[in-house]
Amino acid sequence: MVTTLSAHGLAIGLPAGWEGRIQRRVATAAAEQTRAVVHLANFALPEERDDFGGEVTPTMRSPDVLVVLFEYGPESAAKPLFAAPGLPRVTAALFGSKRLQRPLPGQLGCQQFFTTNGRPFCLYVVAGSRAHLARIIADVNTVLAGVTVGP
Amino acid sequence: MTTAVLVVESVVLVLLTVLVAGLLRSHAEILRRLHALGAGLDPDVPLPDPRAPTIELLPTASGAFADAVDLDGAGLRDDALHVAVVGARHRTLLAFLSSGCLTCQGFWDAFRDPRHLDLPDDVRLVVVAKDAGDESISALRAVAPSGVAVVLSSAAWTDYHVPGSPYFVLVDGIAGHVRGEGTGASWEQVKNLLRQAGDDADDDGREVRIDRELLSHGIAPGDPSLYRTADQIADQIAGQIAGQITGQMVEDART
Repeated sequence: MVTTLSAHGLAIGLPAGWEGRIQRRVATAAAEQTRAVVHLANFALPEERDDFGGEVTPTMRSPDVLVVLFEYGPESAAKPLFAAPGLPRVTAALFGSKRLQRPLPGQLGCQQFFTTNGRPFCLYVVAGSRAHLARIIADVNTVLAGVTVGP
Repeated sequence: MTTAVLVVESVVLVLLTVLVAGLLRSHAEILRRLHALGAGLDPDVPLPDPRAPTIELLPTASGAFADAVDLDGAGLRDDALHVAVVGARHRTLLAFLSSGCLTCQGFWDAFRDPRHLDLPDDVRLVVVAKDAGDESISALRAVAPSGVAVVLSSAAWTDYHVPGSPYFVLVDGIAGHVRGEGTGASWEQVKNLLRQAGDDADDDGREVRIDRELLSHGIAPGDPSLYRTADQIADQIAGQIAGQITGQMVEDART
């Protein structure tokens, strides 16, 4: 069964057993404009979470996966880093232990930058272990196929 | 004539007094019942909870376990949430609370520091409040703990047939069923529910525990490793030993 989670111009279909949050941080300064941050996981997400899962990944087990979609301001869409169009898909070659924001033994990370519907994002995935990577990649790509980004 | 008017006025006055007294009494009864259901308007008036303590573990042999459902709703920080309850490898304790009910206040206070709740390791606490249309978001923000998930979902109250707040439902994620439910006046009473559920699991939950342990290692139902024969396992071990011996011989030859 797929559940659709939607907020802030994003709609995400989640397979059974997955959970997710779409939120926007509270601005700490008057001029600050915050954007959507999405956390998706096949395990229970803790309430205390950094944008890129800094408080989450230490609790992950080897079959676990954390998916982060972090939106940047529209001015970033013109930058070469975000030139890739549309939601990417992940492959085993994109994962490595040096691509983690917070390196932890056994875990692998993957970062992809892209723009879709004029909105620039970073896709950040943390896999609990290489042993489960094939299944994790399949699951993540299934989830990414169910993501809709509105203007 | 004046006397007759005075008599009529007196009678009308008495009737009106009786009517007003009746209305006030009826109003007080309505307020009392609303408060008992967790929707009271005056949080300063302490009223006994006629349902407390009534926490029960559902009987295992009756087949009366209700199906559980996941939680979909809003959060308190401009967010949308989906909390997986069914299929989760842990148990979930759903705490249906209101911002205004007096009994709930003790639970909000207790949840402020989850480390002191003495929850079993495999139990995740999730607070479920009603939607923004039925609740005061500002009041919820004032009492909601930062370390516990809070989901605003009136649909969940309907799905779990919640009669009023506070109300607790314990769900076994792997089985996908409700294991116990009820209300209580204090966190200690709710913990008894968890203890009963734990004792019950010790009695008849061996299969569930094994499933939970296998899932925690990524072995799901249908995993090929569950269906290997003794010969296949023996062949694998023999292959590993042969590989180790070959590796050692190559190492010896080099030295």
